[in-house]
Amino acid sequence: MAEPKEKSHNDQKPKPRVRPIVRLGIFLVSHSFLVSVVCCTSGVLALFLLPVLAKNTYISENALMPGSASPMLSNQHVLDGNRLVKDLTNSNLKSSETGIESHKIIAQYMLDLGAEVSFHKFHPQMNQFHPLHFFSSPDSGKIQENYSCSSYGINTVGIIRAPRGDGKEAIVLVTPYNALKSGFGEALSLGIAYSVFSLLTQVTWLAKDIIWLVADSQFGEYAAVSAWLREYQTPKFSSLSTLNSEMCPDINNLFEIKVHSVAGSKFSNSFRRAGTMAAALVLKVRDQGEQFEDTISIYAEASNGQMPNLDLINVVNYLAVHRQGLRVNVEKLRSLLNSSWLKSLGEIFESLAKVAKTLNPKCKFGIPATEYVEGTATLASSLYYQALGVPTGPHGAFRDYQVDAITLEISPKFSLDKVWRNDILLRGGRLIEGVIRSVNNLLEKFHQSFFLYLLTSPSKFVSVGVYMIAFALLIAPLPMVAASLYVDANSSSNFLKGDSSTPSAITDAAEHGITIRSWKWLNSAKLVFIVHLWGAIVSLLPYFICQIPDCSPMTSFVIWVLLSILSLLILNSVLASPLACVKASQEKEWALVKSVTISSMFIGLGLMSVINFATAEIGALLMVPMCLLAQPLKLDLRAGTLRSCCRIICNLVLGHIAFPPAAFFLLKGMLEGFGSANVGDFWMWVESLWAWNSATYLFIGLLRSGSNPLMIESIQVPLMDRVGACE
Amino acid sequence: MDTFNNSKPVLHLLLLPCLLLYSSIAFSSSSVEAAMHTNNWAVLVCTSRFWFNYRHMANTLSLYRTVKRLGIPDERIILMLADDMACNTRNKYPAQVFNNENHRLNLYGDNVEVDYRGYEVTVENFLRVLTGRHETAVPRSKRLLSDEGSHILLYMTGHGGDEFLKFQDSEELQSHDLADAVKQMKEKHRFKELLIMVDTCQAATLFNQLQSPGVLAIGSSMKGENSYSHHLDSDVGVSVVDRFTYYTLAFFERLNIYDNASLSSLFSSYNPSWLMSTAYYRKGVYKRSLEEVPVTTFFGSVMETIHTDAAYKALSRRNSGRFEAQTSLDQSVYHPERRTQMKVNDRDETHNINPEGNKQLLQGQEGASKCPWNTFCNKFLKAENVDSLVNYGLVAMVPFLVISTWLVR
Repeated sequence: MAEPKEKSHNDQKPKPRVRPIVRLGIFLVSHSFLVSVVCCTSGVLALFLLPVLAKNTYISENALMPGSASPMLSNQHVLDGNRLVKDLTNSNLKSSETGIESHKIIAQYMLDLGAEVSFHKFHPQMNQFHPLHFFSSPDSGKIQENYSCSSYGINTVGIIRAPRGDGKEAIVLVTPYNALKSGFGEALSLGIAYSVFSLLTQVTWLAKDIIWLVADSQFGEYAAVSAWLREYQTPKFSSLSTLNSEMCPDINNLFEIKVHSVAGSKFSNSFRRAGTMAAALVLKVRDQGEQFEDTISIYAEASNGQMPNLDLINVVNYLAVHRQGLRVNVEKLRSLLNSSWLKSLGEIFESLAKVAKTLNPKCKFGIPATEYVEGTATLASSLYYQALGVPTGPHGAFRDYQVDAITLEISPKFSLDKVWRNDILLRGGRLIEGVIRSVNNLLEKFHQSFFLYLLTSPSKFVSVGVYMIAFALLIAPLPMVAASLYVDANSSSNFLKGDSSTPSAITDAAEHGITIRSWKWLNSAKLVFIVHLWGAIVSLLPYFICQIPDCSPMTSFVIWVLLSILSLLILNSVLASPLACVKASQEKEWALVKSVTISSMFIGLGLMSVINFATAEIGALLMVPMCLLAQPLKLDLRAGTLRSCCRIICNLVLGHIAFPPAAFFLLKGMLEGFGSANVGDFWMWVESLWAWNSATYLFIGLLRSGSNPLMIESIQVPLMDRVGACE
Repeated sequence: MDTFNNSKPVLHLLLLPCLLLYSSIAFSSSSVEAAMHTNNWAVLVCTSRFWFNYRHMANTLSLYRTVKRLGIPDERIILMLADDMACNTRNKYPAQVFNNENHRLNLYGDNVEVDYRGYEVTVENFLRVLTGRHETAVPRSKRLLSDEGSHILLYMTGHGGDEFLKFQDSEELQSHDLADAVKQMKEKHRFKELLIMVDTCQAATLFNQLQSPGVLAIGSSMKGENSYSHHLDSDVGVSVVDRFTYYTLAFFERLNIYDNASLSSLFSSYNPSWLMSTAYYRKGVYKRSLEEVPVTTFFGSVMETIHTDAAYKALSRRNSGRFEAQTSLDQSVYHPERRTQMKVNDRDETHNINPEGNKQLLQGQEGASKCPWNTFCNKFLKAENVDSLVNYGLVAMVPFLVISTWLVR
């Protein structure tokens, strides 16, 4: 960094030498505009560079040894699985009350293998908004009293005990199954799981117990799995199960029939447990297949952007690609794949890499443009789902208990051939077997590899150390601009006084004035605080709105908007009335407000990046430019230059984009076309967010609205001006 | 009478060469004793835990089997296994360990005697075994009871690096530690020749500090090289043997107890392209040329039967060994005097085969002669000392000749 040259007014007196870091700070603050422009652009650029900087994944844990053992799943097991598939599909045709029937069939099959079987009855939890439960783990101690006997789900659980294991650890295999309207895919997933299960009852190498959970997905896959996990992790010592059976005799029938039919077997009425879970796999088979290849999709994002250990994904990826010849897929934003600007950006990076290679043959970064586009699409979806904080599958429920879990969705090359069905059973089964055997080798929890990463392809990732750079660059200008604004606001008045009197003759009174002025920011802090309070109120409002019965999303959204405006007006009249009388030095006041807002924004973004990086990153992308550009409309209007016009336009556009509903519609429109966008959608989206206890919601509510003082102020100032003119 | 009186100094004169003879015999016998190969010991160490290090246990057990087959009895093998793979729940074949995917040979058969297992295998215990500084409660079967005539094979395998070998995933043995232990062993006359064989990454670096004489060392790889496993058993699901050990075993499979293959033929059998690393041996101060040393010097135990009249001779040595062990316990604080004293004791013990030899030497010739006579007989039995014996005999004949001619005159 060059030596700062203080040209203006430091020449007359040789000052005592200041420390370099202080001088650097002063330099940065004094050139905050340039610095912020450079930092922001480089931050955005770094974000786009991430696919290029992605590293290849590698298996970090020695103990895993995926693929070192040859698969033992034979055709016999496949035939077993096939038998189950047939029975299930037949029973579907046969009776109307298939729900219980198919569960009985599954349980019978498990019992025949010699596994311990139990049913777990659960009642779906209604989506409820708990404003204070965002960061707490799912509430498990709560006992629901008011359930009805009509709506319940039954999970069938089979447990294989490791023959020589200590029974302290377990691996969970989950297959969601909706008995009432199951497609062929679900039956097939059960077939795969069953063939693996039947193999695992025979092997001698199990060190961990195997739990096979057939999750009743009639109330959603997540609900079933989370209900079972809640029960598993928090043993209840009340006599709730007996209470249940008393109240709902028809369910009890099921259990009794079971017990009678297979007396002496390992069926049990009570909830069965194995050890702590080392890992969990959710297996699904998609009904509509791919056209070209057998593909397996990995879903990993859990609530609040938590990811399972990268090793788990690596193991699955390695086994699927190198052993079973399946194509592995992670979620992409499809709309980005065809975007031409991304392609050209990729080409630019590619040619840059070539130039770099000619200069230094050793450096090999740079990937082909098509790969770049794919990587960016994957990265974008990875960011999006992490930012949203909504789990992408039932595996999310496991992450809440710190269990590493992923969802595998097999989409087979579709044909109704029986050979094909056997083939997919064999390969899917061998994949699951390989993963289980690999996890079985583990001695400790997954801990070697990354937990904080973004995937750019199934075999490439960006680790936390790399992606934090982009974020840090993006938010770095915030404190500098805040400092420089604060200094400006204070020193401009100083400067006026300094003109009238000599700098040496500063009296006590002047000093007193300075101290008063230096506390002036409290006033603006109050304003910012009020707006934050408003944000909190707005984000709590849906709790009350959703109590209103029979509300369409549209109307509830309108109610929400109206209530928010009302609350703003009330707050303004009650608390912020002194705001209006500040008229004298509006510009200075404005600078202070901006400075305080920016610093609170900086703190908020910094904190959020620790909780959920992706949310913070997207938030920063939207809000940092807005914060830096925001300026009262009046001042710009008065100036009337081209530059200020540009700034007005930027402000208005950014101001609208950063407004959450607007951003939502814009994104949705971009991805799906504007025709489908609907006001009610936003309500649904928000509803889904709080249903999942997403911290994103809180973040949007508090922080996004926190940035609103700027907007409000920028509109308020001309208004007040007009009021002043009228007087 | 006169003649008798005269004969008194003559008698003294006569005695003098006899004494000379005795002392020279005694001295030569002691030096011969130090050079004599008495027995063979093997210390086989597997230092790593965890299921995925199955091959290290298989390595060690294969070598255990080999040295046992070549004649080292179980009581002279200290086997240290840091983990129990045979009974690991992940083992597809319970209570069996294989070193080849053909599963023809179960290494963990009926007569495997593991001396240190599991968490007992620590650097501390390993060094205690080498130096013989045990707690009193440690049974004899867990001690390396070698003597100055012992040939010891020290085999170690595990995960290592530059000048260290990892023990139990938590501690490490450094090359300094090893060199120091070997030096102590030398000082305490615990071995005559020692072969250190290490199969680990950068194994050669472990020998950097070795300076003691009579120590031969061979490692599986040079500095900066990795040692690789030989093959994966896809049935068990782990690699079952390391390359260096695999080819060592391949060499020994061709041999039996009576083979005379030399160490150099073993060392030259390691092909770097097979090992994927360079086997490195360090001769150091090892005097004999490797072509002349048969591998059975270390890997087998061809015992020579030594006939002794005095049955307590071996007993006395054992006693002194125990004494040594006891003193060593007290030596946790270093006492130079005691150390020297002990050395003197050692020297006494080795030079004078009879423990009370000093006193007897003062008492008279008969007492003293009893013992040398035995050794004399021993030496006489031994073919190699015939030349010196004849020489001494001729020298002894001279005074007799002189005396007899003088008496006759």
